[in-house]
Amino acid sequence: MWFSSTPSRDYTIQMSAIVRAGLLTTGLISAVVLIIQFQQHLDDRIDQGHTQIEQLAQLPRAEHLKPALLGYDNLGADILWLRLLQVVGQKRITAEEYEWIYHAMDVITTLDPQYDYIYYVGGVVLTNLANRVDLSNRLLEKGFKENPTIWNIPFLLGYNYYFIVGDAAKAAEYIAASARLPGGPAYLPGLATRMYAEANNPETALQLLEALWRQTQDTETREVLENRAKEIMIERDIRLLESAVRQYQTDHGSLPRALQDLLSSRHLTQLPQEPFGGRYELDSKTGNISSSTHPNRLRVFRLDKQGRV
Amino acid sequence: MKIFSIALNTFRENLRDKLLYNLLIFALLMIGSSLILMQLTLGEFHRLILDIGLGSINFFGVLIAIFVGIGLVSKEIEKKTIYTIVSKPVARYQFLLGKYLGLSLTLVINTAIMAAGLLAVLYFQDVPVHAVLFKALGMIVLEFMVITAVALLFSTFSSATLSAIFTLAIYVIGHLTTDLKAFGQKMEGAGRSVLEGMYYILPNLDRFNLKGNVTHQLDVPAGDLLMIAAYGLAYTAFLLMLASVIFQRRDFR
Repeated sequence: MWFSSTPSRDYTIQMSAIVRAGLLTTGLISAVVLIIQFQQHLDDRIDQGHTQIEQLAQLPRAEHLKPALLGYDNLGADILWLRLLQVVGQKRITAEEYEWIYHAMDVITTLDPQYDYIYYVGGVVLTNLANRVDLSNRLLEKGFKENPTIWNIPFLLGYNYYFIVGDAAKAAEYIAASARLPGGPAYLPGLATRMYAEANNPETALQLLEALWRQTQDTETREVLENRAKEIMIERDIRLLESAVRQYQTDHGSLPRALQDLLSSRHLTQLPQEPFGGRYELDSKTGNISSSTHPNRLRVFRLDKQGRV
Repeated sequence: MKIFSIALNTFRENLRDKLLYNLLIFALLMIGSSLILMQLTLGEFHRLILDIGLGSINFFGVLIAIFVGIGLVSKEIEKKTIYTIVSKPVARYQFLLGKYLGLSLTLVINTAIMAAGLLAVLYFQDVPVHAVLFKALGMIVLEFMVITAVALLFSTFSSATLSAIFTLAIYVIGHLTTDLKAFGQKMEGAGRSVLEGMYYILPNLDRFNLKGNVTHQLDVPAGDLLMIAAYGLAYTAFLLMLASVIFQRRDFR
């Protein structure tokens, strides 16, 4: 009797241990599966990008955030910058969301006023992608006050004042200030001189744009800058064509009927290419030139008080 | 001599507590974060290594200073091992000072190893190292010394849990005393004197924070550094003397 019962009892104990282990494993696995399921479900319910951007809007003012960081201000600025980057790269950003991005950058630069890269990126993005030159200038002016030796902050201010605000005199001052600082590219002093002397010249504008283009790595911003450069090339071409037309008028006593006439009369050796792939059109009654792709001429060169160069 | 043998003993005890395991966490944090964040960030990648490195050296050290510091005396009382020491011809202040120096030694070695790890990461990532990094590390150690002294002071008259809470509170307040002074200056009469008195009595731990200078390579004049060091040492001495006075009157029953 004893020899028949013992193995079966052992067997039962063994079985129950296996069953228990099996149940535990199943329980653990199903718990993990449930956790992942719930997490995914929550993520789907609450749109990730949306909440992340909204969190930026709820970011407290830096004056309140700073004491909570207990001296780890720089690390806080780094973490905020990382989060901001993830949001910015995610999707198309609305006008309102750009204001929150500005707010986040303002907080980061208050936590770490010497974080000059933020001013630079903020200055470029808020001007060229957000069309908010006011916010861009506010951030850059704060940066220039905190970091009077970083050349690219006044450089961007000069760019903003020249192209967007249309204040060529102030722009020239900023570019000149930037040229006096160490580390800037060698062509800056020349550019500054030109901006004082001939702010109205499209070549000056192109030079400034090229300078910024070389500083920028972001493809989207570079595209914006390239488009702006092409618009300025149109302005340059129109000026060239119009001066040729005027020359033609003084020589022949009448306006040319078509642009080709300028070639045959040798006032021009070749007609400029319209950079957007369109054509230049001559109004044979007034002698005015316009581009087929950009019928309106650039504002910034008209605002200048000194008139045409 | 007695002080040093107690100090060495405390140091050995810390090692036996596997306290230096935090170095492993630190190393993983440093290497892991620099590899991951390299792909996530834009702009100045160097500053991330420096900020995370110095931040975690500081943070882990403060944690050790607080949570080991509060146990320095209370653990001995709890385990009744204190009887074997006080029955010997060792003055109580010597016991305290030995305990304090032992933990300080642990913290210095801990910081040195972590700093070596940070320097290694900086070297492999080709980040230039400036003298101000070492100045900042020195100031961080000084902050640990003040916090350890605070923890020791509280642990001479209250329980371990309470001491931990008090010391954490002092650590937080110590970084906010500049605001305390600013509030005081906006007040009139008695309120002003109270706040200003508190400002001078509480440690101003923000003075030991040179982490921002490292990130931007802003050097600190030697005179300033010397003054900060003198302040830190004087404050530590004040806390240790206070602790000895209280400990002298303590009854272990």
